[in-house]
Amino acid sequence: MTTATTREAGGFRRTWNRFRTYISKPQNAILLALGIILTITTIFPMYTIVRDTVRLHPGSIDTQEKALNNQVDALGTTLTTYNWTNLFTDTITTRVERERVTRSVASIYLWTPLLNSVLISIFACFGAILYGGVFAYLVTRTNLKFKKYLSSIFIFPYIMPQWTLAVMWQNLFNSNAVTGGNDGLFVALFNTYMPKWWCEGLFPVSVVLAIHYAPFAYILIGGIFRNMDANLEEAATILNTPRYKTFFRVTLPLVKPAILSTVLLVFSSAMGSYPIPHYLGLTTLSTQYVGMSSNRAGQASILAVIMMLFGFLILIVNQRTTSGRKNFTTVTGKSGQSSVVNLGSVGKYVCSILFVLLTLFTGILPIILFAVETFLPNPGDYSFLTHGIVGHTTTKWWVTSENVTENGMYGQKGILYNADIWNAFGGTFLVAICCALVAGTIGTLIGYCVSKNRRSKWASYVNNMAFLPYLMPSLAVGVAFFIFGSGVGIYNTFLLLILAGTVKYIPFASRSALNSMMQLSGEIEEAAIIQDIPWWKRMTRIIIPIQKTSIISGFLLPFMTCLRELTLFMLLCGQGKIITTMLGYFDEMGLYAFSSGINLILIVLILLFNTLVNKLTGASIDSGIGGGD
Amino acid sequence: MKKLLSLVLALAMCLTLVSFASAETVEEVIAQAQNMTLEELFQKAIEESNGKRFDAVGNSSRGKSVLPIFVEELQKINPGYTLDYEGGWQQPKENKIFDQLTEDVNGANHVMSMTLIQDGNQIQSKMLDTGLLLNFVPKDWQEAEGVAKEGNETPLALQTLNKVFMFNNLGEKTYTNMWDFVRDGEAPLFMGVNSELVGKNFLYMMTNDKYATIAKEAYEVWEGRNPEDDALIEDMKLDAEDLGLTGENVQYGLAWVYLWCEKYNEETDDGPICNTLVTTSAKDQAGLLVYSKLRSVEETAESSVNNITVAAYQDGYVGIGGYAYKHYLMLTKTSPLPWTSCALIAYMTTTQDGFKAWGKDMGGYAPVPACMQDHSHDGGDEFPAKNDRGYDWWINEGKLVVEEPAYCASVSGTMSDWIDGIVAGK
Repeated sequence: MTTATTREAGGFRRTWNRFRTYISKPQNAILLALGIILTITTIFPMYTIVRDTVRLHPGSIDTQEKALNNQVDALGTTLTTYNWTNLFTDTITTRVERERVTRSVASIYLWTPLLNSVLISIFACFGAILYGGVFAYLVTRTNLKFKKYLSSIFIFPYIMPQWTLAVMWQNLFNSNAVTGGNDGLFVALFNTYMPKWWCEGLFPVSVVLAIHYAPFAYILIGGIFRNMDANLEEAATILNTPRYKTFFRVTLPLVKPAILSTVLLVFSSAMGSYPIPHYLGLTTLSTQYVGMSSNRAGQASILAVIMMLFGFLILIVNQRTTSGRKNFTTVTGKSGQSSVVNLGSVGKYVCSILFVLLTLFTGILPIILFAVETFLPNPGDYSFLTHGIVGHTTTKWWVTSENVTENGMYGQKGILYNADIWNAFGGTFLVAICCALVAGTIGTLIGYCVSKNRRSKWASYVNNMAFLPYLMPSLAVGVAFFIFGSGVGIYNTFLLLILAGTVKYIPFASRSALNSMMQLSGEIEEAAIIQDIPWWKRMTRIIIPIQKTSIISGFLLPFMTCLRELTLFMLLCGQGKIITTMLGYFDEMGLYAFSSGINLILIVLILLFNTLVNKLTGASIDSGIGGGD
Repeated sequence: MKKLLSLVLALAMCLTLVSFASAETVEEVIAQAQNMTLEELFQKAIEESNGKRFDAVGNSSRGKSVLPIFVEELQKINPGYTLDYEGGWQQPKENKIFDQLTEDVNGANHVMSMTLIQDGNQIQSKMLDTGLLLNFVPKDWQEAEGVAKEGNETPLALQTLNKVFMFNNLGEKTYTNMWDFVRDGEAPLFMGVNSELVGKNFLYMMTNDKYATIAKEAYEVWEGRNPEDDALIEDMKLDAEDLGLTGENVQYGLAWVYLWCEKYNEETDDGPICNTLVTTSAKDQAGLLVYSKLRSVEETAESSVNNITVAAYQDGYVGIGGYAYKHYLMLTKTSPLPWTSCALIAYMTTTQDGFKAWGKDMGGYAPVPACMQDHSHDGGDEFPAKNDRGYDWWINEGKLVVEEPAYCASVSGTMSDWIDGIVAGK
């Protein structure tokens, strides 16, 4: 007995000593702590969604159909499988084209939205890669003109809140004859009527999403093009290989990882997009979730679970396809040489003008329209243009200093005097700064620790756990944090917004940091260790200064993204808390002058901030996800 | 020392017992408050909330504009009175007000004192049936001259709002019957039934025999009546049976709802609908929208209030002129400041100043006439569409379909799916 006890004690001591040795390394201690924190912040909200699917919701179909006593279940403690069985096995008798038809519940609430979500995600990926990839190639590998201007303007659609392009699309192409309502600018100016498929539904949603996410493709693919070793292409040229063959057999395979990265990131982002399908009249999982949440709350959560499953699926695909690589977004080794393809003396101008025109439509025109909109007397009323009456413009949306209910102000003061708007701006900046600081710091630490434990399973787990929320559609993450936040009493607080934003945007920082840390030789830090330099000093004096550009990008991207994020936050707070929920409110109300003014201010602020950081540190928004260079 | 300790403990226990004994539940506060005048409630509010934090949640952002006036009223009695309400009036998005209230009452931390809320169906099934919200009817309201009690007392309505049929009058089409809005080729502008749920309640109410009978009477004199629609109406008896609807003329109401759902053109809000309808290019376009939106139009060469006609204002118009829904005021079951909430509710529902934030708009009607402002001449001769004919006219002549929470809740379980099926199959 005594021997056994001694043996047990010895075993415990050995384990404890091993643990102490393991934890004595800062990177291990940090990994352990972050692993636990990320597991809680990522898994617990997901668990709450899953649990919500088996809860009863007073006033929802699960209690009505089951005739359960609402009084008893006001706390939602009774569990049921009703929501799953009803959604997947029950039918509804309704009418289509005047005939009575019996349809499955899933066909009304699930399959069509799911199909639409998958289709817009696929088309958005395809469009973003085509548009962003071609642009990336032209900017990095050819003698295209106006590169600097085009490169800056190309990322505008990503900076702008995504639904602003959707609202612009409506204002441009809708017409009384085709979509009903009044005529858009296109009809007013050119008397041209676009078909309905162009104005509403799958096509415009896919195009707008593709334009919005094309900068993603540009950043990721451009990063590889910029650093690609030209020797392989030159070898093909020496072997007399035709240029198209070189492109398809040599160049394209080299950018395949970046294309895959774009597909994974755009697919999940597009799938979770709410405002664009909402404005352009397409039912997707996101819009259906919002529509179902009153009468089929539990089943709405099933939709959120399905969106989450797509996130897991993407993570698995990511793991499988990048298992042979260090990570999928990293660029290949840096090359000392790069070749520039000559587009020809005419070609370089033709391509440039083509992209100047395209970016004019996607980057400049919205800004001009935003600015003009703030001087129109009624939303979308271009009388001053169509009738040539200059007097039909106004500055009321900017300078009204009193509460006025007449003339479309709805009791709002002008933008310059509107405390609600400026408070919302303040709220947004608070959330963005906190998210950037917390996500940036955690992400940097993850990047550092994972790079120091490349073969560790725990490191791989922490890395995946940090990346998972990014692959989850924003709405699903928003739903998870809504249920979680309401349960712990922090709904409509900045704390909840910061928590959700941090968890969602850690990947920006962790990817950026990991990519840069991977490029860092271990010898640099080892030299400092030999000299007994403490860890924090090694970090602040050696590691961070060397990779400061990538690390700052990891702080900058969460900041920028937070500034214009709606889908993630819209369920987590009231409409006046942050500027995007307020912007969405103004857009929904049709108060386009306010939303346009806010958009303008937002874009200018983001650009100013980006320029400032760029000047001070050399980092910028387009050196983030691609891993910097 | 031991004796001293025993004494302190005994004292503490007594104080605890006293404090427990004096703690009133929100129900008890309401029971007392219902017998008090506004002045007495003000006094109670001052005692309860001086220097404290006040939080409420509402569908209407205007609630926050009442709070400073309310505090000023209390300061007339006690100049030192303060109430911390900055950022305390929340307006959640996407129907989350019900979830927020549920979590607040059921959670450990009770923040919300009261609510200003719409959507009778969900209020009935999620808030009243579950006992999460409590109704309070002020004494002054009960005794007010000419108060319209029917349909406004339980739950207590702050105001009734109307959404009315309008059409752009620059084209050739005429709309003189409620069935004209659902004839072939129409695509009236309307907020989506699942984004503005009071719109879905309107469709539920159309199956109530009172309104189904109006639909029947209108159909019988409709010039556009045709055999296909006759057959559809007859066929709707089957649907009514499936849906458990038993009214004598329910098939007329159902047929109208079906045709409306099949044809309406969804918009995100009434604002864009109004902006569209008043333009010169929106010829022959119709819509169902909040009447007060007409105040927002600025006259230009492209847009004019005179480009639209309010359907029910036409001589000889037949059938419903739109629908009415309500903003209700209630206390949460766990209200941290129940006396203050009761005082505020009484102030909002019985005085013109308290109702001013809503009363300045046409198309919103308080049950107590003294709270109302006159909007019957807002447009004068120049813009007759803006001359509001008032609550009584809209209910009796304009035949508005008025939301009834209990009825909506009783049919929503089946009707909601039936409607969603039609919309999904469009």
